[in-house]
This record gives sequence, C-alpha cells and structure tokens, in this order.
Amino acid sequence: MDGKVIVVTSGKGGVGKTTVTASIGAALALQGKRVAVVDMDIGLRNLDVVMGLENRIVFNVVDVVQGKCKLKQAAIKDRRIDNLFLVPASQSDDKNVIKPENMVWLCNKLRKEYDFALLDCPAGIEQGFKNAIEAVDEAIVICTPEVSSVRDADRVIGLLYARSISPKLIVNRIVPKLVEKGDMLSHVDVVDVLSIDLLGLVEMDDAVVVSSNTGKPIVQQKDSRAGEAFTRIAMRLDGHPDLPIDDPMAQKSFWKKLGKKLGRKKQE
Amino acid sequence: MSFNSLIKKLLNKSEDSRSVAKKRLQFALVYDKLEVKDGMLEELQKDLVEVISRYFEIDRESLSLDIQRFEGSSALILNTPIVAAKHQKTNEKARDKT
Repeated sequence: MDGKVIVVTSGKGGVGKTTVTASIGAALALQGKRVAVVDMDIGLRNLDVVMGLENRIVFNVVDVVQGKCKLKQAAIKDRRIDNLFLVPASQSDDKNVIKPENMVWLCNKLRKEYDFALLDCPAGIEQGFKNAIEAVDEAIVICTPEVSSVRDADRVIGLLYARSISPKLIVNRIVPKLVEKGDMLSHVDVVDVLSIDLLGLVEMDDAVVVSSNTGKPIVQQKDSRAGEAFTRIAMRLDGHPDLPIDDPMAQKSFWKKLGKKLGRKKQE
Repeated sequence: MSFNSLIKKLLNKSEDSRSVAKKRLQFALVYDKLEVKDGMLEELQKDLVEVISRYFEIDRESLSLDIQRFEGSSALILNTPIVAAKHQKTNEKARDKT
C-alpha cells in the first residue's frame, strides 16, 4: 500500500515547523512506521541540524529531483531511530530550481518507499511553499498562540483549501500559566478564530531547546510534556484519529485542588 | 478562569490581554479575507464624506468607517454624527457645482 505525504507548514517563520516535523517523524518511526522527513527549505536547510545529522549529508533533495542520485542514496538513516530517514535540502541552490512537476514525481516516489513522508515547508507563501504543497495528501498547519502567527496560519489555511487540502492544526508553545492569567490566547480562542480541526496541543517546554542543542529527539526524552504531545499527535496520524487531546493546564493551584476535591465529594 | 484572574478582573475592569489579542486577530482576519487594498477604505471615506455633505452638515473629523463581522458575513459600518440637515436649495447648488 502507498504511504502518505504530509506537509508541515505555518506561513510565519520561527513557530516550530522544523522541530514539529522532526518530532512527529521520530514518533512515527518509533511506532514502527517507515518514515522520511524531507527538508523543503532549499537554501536554508535546518532539519539536518535539528536531527543531529548535519555531517552525514552526501546528496540532497535537489540532486534527487535532478536525477543525480536515487532517493534512497539521499535519504540519511537516523543515528538513533530505525526506519527514520532524512532527505536534506540543498544549501547552495535556489527555491526555484524545483518545479511543481518535480514535486509530483518526488511525492510519488516517497509514497512508494515510505509509510509516511513529512515535508518541512519553508516559511512564507512563495515558490518554496507552493512546491511543498503541490502534491501532498495531507497538511499540518502550525501556529503559536500569538496574533501574528494565527493570522499567517489563517492565510495558509485559505491557500490550502483553495487547493482542496483540508489541513489540521497544531497549536505550539502554549504557556498554560499565561493562558489562565488571561495573558495568552488559549487553544479554544485559536480554533474559534481559524475554524479548523485540531491535531494536537504542544506546551512550551525547555526540553525542546535542549533537544535541538544536542540533536536528540524530544520524543525520546523522559517526562517531556512536549515530547508526549508529539507522540500522541503521531498516534492520531497513524490510525488513532480520535485519541483525546489533552487540555494543557498550569500546575494545579491550591484553589483548584480544593475545588476538585469538593467536586469529587459531591459526586460520591 | 483561575482564582487569581477572577480577583484581577474584579479589581480591575480593563480587559485582559488575551481578549484584546482575540479581538485584534478577528479584526485583522476580516480585512485579510476581503483582501481590501491598503488605502481603499480611506478613499471610500473621502467619497462618502463628499456625498453625505451634500445633504447633511456633518463633522468630518468624527466620521468613522469600519468593516465588522456579524455571524459569518462582513458589514461596512459608517458612523457619523449629524450637525444639521441642509436645505434643498443648497443641495441643488452643491449638485450643480459637481
């Protein structure tokens, strides 16, 4: 059976596309799937560094498209996780060297070789974005709970709908404490404004910074809330679409605990 | 809502930044979706002031023009205090001029 090609996109830069791509890819591979993560940010590659594979690159996605090597030759095997492969971007080319028709061919190849291929889309809505969404089966839109990021997400969602792709949303870097204080948009606000299906909620987690420093996948760190969220997102993509989405909450305050206890007593 | 934010709300009636963010966002998205060109609203306002001024004396400065969203559709909201109605004759004069 053919695999699925999924683009991870956001419009705005710096909201966590690359980390999300690497993390979901790792989680899917740990769940036993054969996974390729493809860096589509030609000229500004990053996924290799996030995954700690930067010094193993021989061929890149542009080489594959131009027939200079086979897809298998460009796909770098992950150091820690079996069945996880990175197809790096070219650092020296321009985004325009890849044409939409190349993407149709590439996505077909990816479907044949892998169960899941995740395309890390460049920021913006220009050629690089158009290439990345050209021939995908599904799309994931990432935003953070900030006005600018949600606005850009809305634009990208509109562009995806125009191509008959119904994307799903991940709200990244939620700070539950700020949401409860009334100083950050909640995921309910974001979903309300964007009217789109949720795929997952990821809390702000210092462990993500550590993980990108070291190139170790966040889904393999113990007790990471973000890592756990990514694992659950991967399960939703892989045959468990109805797995409940946890509502990120700040550390329970004294009053909340009391309220919960009283509530429980009433129920008894 | 947590206990702390409830207290904050009771003590201080100003909106929390979360609600401000949501409102600004909804406003921005209405404009984005309509793809209104920058400056178009200003030009429309100028034209409207000119037309309305033929019939009413209005305070040009306090006229406001906004696009708002009501239950899924966008509405153009014009708000202007009327100082006085102009008499028919002056109306005709104004029309002759243009």
